[in-house]
Amino acid sequence: MSGPLLELRHLVVRYGSITALHGIDLTVQTGELVTLLGANGAGKSTTLRAISRLIPASEGAILWHGGSILRLRTERTVKLGISHCPEGRRVLSRQSVADNLALGAWLRRDRSNIAADLDHCYALFPRLAERRQQLAGSLSGGEQQMLAIARSLMARPTLLMLDEPSLGLAPRLVGEVMAALAQLHRDGLTILLVEQNAQAALAIADRGYVLEAGQVTLQGPAAQLLADPSLRAAYLGT
Amino acid sequence: MEGLLQLLFNGLSVGAVYALFALGYTLVFSVLGVINFAHGAIFTLGAYFTYFLIGGTVGANGLMAGQQLPFSLPFWLALPLAGVGAAAVALGLERIAFRPLRERGSDPLLALITSLGAGVILVNLIQLLVGAESYSIPVGTLEALPVAISIAGAKVRTVQVLLLAIAGLLLVALSIWIDGSRSGKALQAVSEDPVTAQLLGINSGRMIQIAFGISGFLAGVAGGLVGLSVSIAGPYFGIGYGLKGLGVLVLGGLGSVPGAVLGGLIIGLAEACVPADLSGYKDAVAFGFLFLMLLIRPQGLLGRPLAEKV
Repeated sequence: MSGPLLELRHLVVRYGSITALHGIDLTVQTGELVTLLGANGAGKSTTLRAISRLIPASEGAILWHGGSILRLRTERTVKLGISHCPEGRRVLSRQSVADNLALGAWLRRDRSNIAADLDHCYALFPRLAERRQQLAGSLSGGEQQMLAIARSLMARPTLLMLDEPSLGLAPRLVGEVMAALAQLHRDGLTILLVEQNAQAALAIADRGYVLEAGQVTLQGPAAQLLADPSLRAAYLGT
Repeated sequence: MEGLLQLLFNGLSVGAVYALFALGYTLVFSVLGVINFAHGAIFTLGAYFTYFLIGGTVGANGLMAGQQLPFSLPFWLALPLAGVGAAAVALGLERIAFRPLRERGSDPLLALITSLGAGVILVNLIQLLVGAESYSIPVGTLEALPVAISIAGAKVRTVQVLLLAIAGLLLVALSIWIDGSRSGKALQAVSEDPVTAQLLGINSGRMIQIAFGISGFLAGVAGGLVGLSVSIAGPYFGIGYGLKGLGVLVLGGLGSVPGAVLGGLIIGLAEACVPADLSGYKDAVAFGFLFLMLLIRPQGLLGRPLAEKV
């Protein structure tokens, strides 16, 4: 009962002859905000893509509430409660903000709750409310990121996985997005946050993992990682 | 004036068939990014299904010579049923010629070849079973309706009015479904970004099936309508329409629904403007139009600029 919500055991992912993940162990407990840090190509996105079954795992296990999800299709992981907000926002540019959000709730049939969640998303990101009839492709980068996060929330996930939400955003917007994530975390949502911006991510996270070349090289409570000299040198530039 | 109105009706009714055809291509293209080259064969099947459902007899050739169904249906029932039959064949085609390749992650271009092959097999099957002769759906099929009606003094064949009305209805229904319904929007999502669609929980395999089903239905109904208004000129008669449909698709803009409709009507009208004694040049006119269009606007009338994808 008190086992982890999500657990990766010795997860190996290969793309052809290239091994992207060399056996990752990672856990996320219910209610935690866990961040996965690392440079480009370290295997962060690959980890998320393996969890949401966009790519097959070569070895190891992915456990959800202790049960394997390795045989599920991506749609089924969404149904289980895993919502993956992909890298690069990937909003549906030819559809309106409101339509993007409606599709986020594709698998749900509880209309009244959907309406309430929609209001909640607009409250969290008021800019989206102002632009609800606009085409998503016409939004700024920051607004698209907010839309992508809100759309993932519309699935009413148990676990929200975000792939570099700060990528390409102006510092002020990074702050805005991180504040929204911290708020969601305080409200009880479990979050797995992939980031290159270690400073911003560790500021709101409970725990963190550092990936290098497909292996976990460092892990621990966020405060401890923030103080770690090797991490400071590598990612925080101090 | 009468002549002009007649010309307009001729053009629009042929154009409406082209539009239905092109929409079938568009639907599948938008979710898979490939052209289904068996589409013409599905159209042909729809025409034959209609012919047999209204009680037509197989001719002297083919394995089923002289046979007919034990019942005969009125045309208004036979046509949608033929559409459903064609949709079922299209779904089978997706299962056999498209899905195995997709599941193996092959180049989408390969599906072009498998669909072409499947189309050839279908056409040959028709020939094997019911022979290569032409069939015509008897005029008496629309018993309750007059052969021609006059609109503003011009005599127009009832069949053409019917064809235009049904095609128009289907086109409107399809646009409403695509732009106004949840599943229509999910289809658009699969079309724009299949990976993101999956992450939203949309079963892209199911949406692809829906696209094939609708596309097959449209082709089947179009086939039945052409069979009624002209005739079924043999198992190969869908191929000409198939090629024309491709032209319409490119003219209107790949993947654009209104573009397919507009392209169909333009090509139909352009053909209708060719005088009767030069009718051998119809195709030349249609494809000449397409050629000009590609020179001026390579993305088609309502297509998005090709360089848009980043």
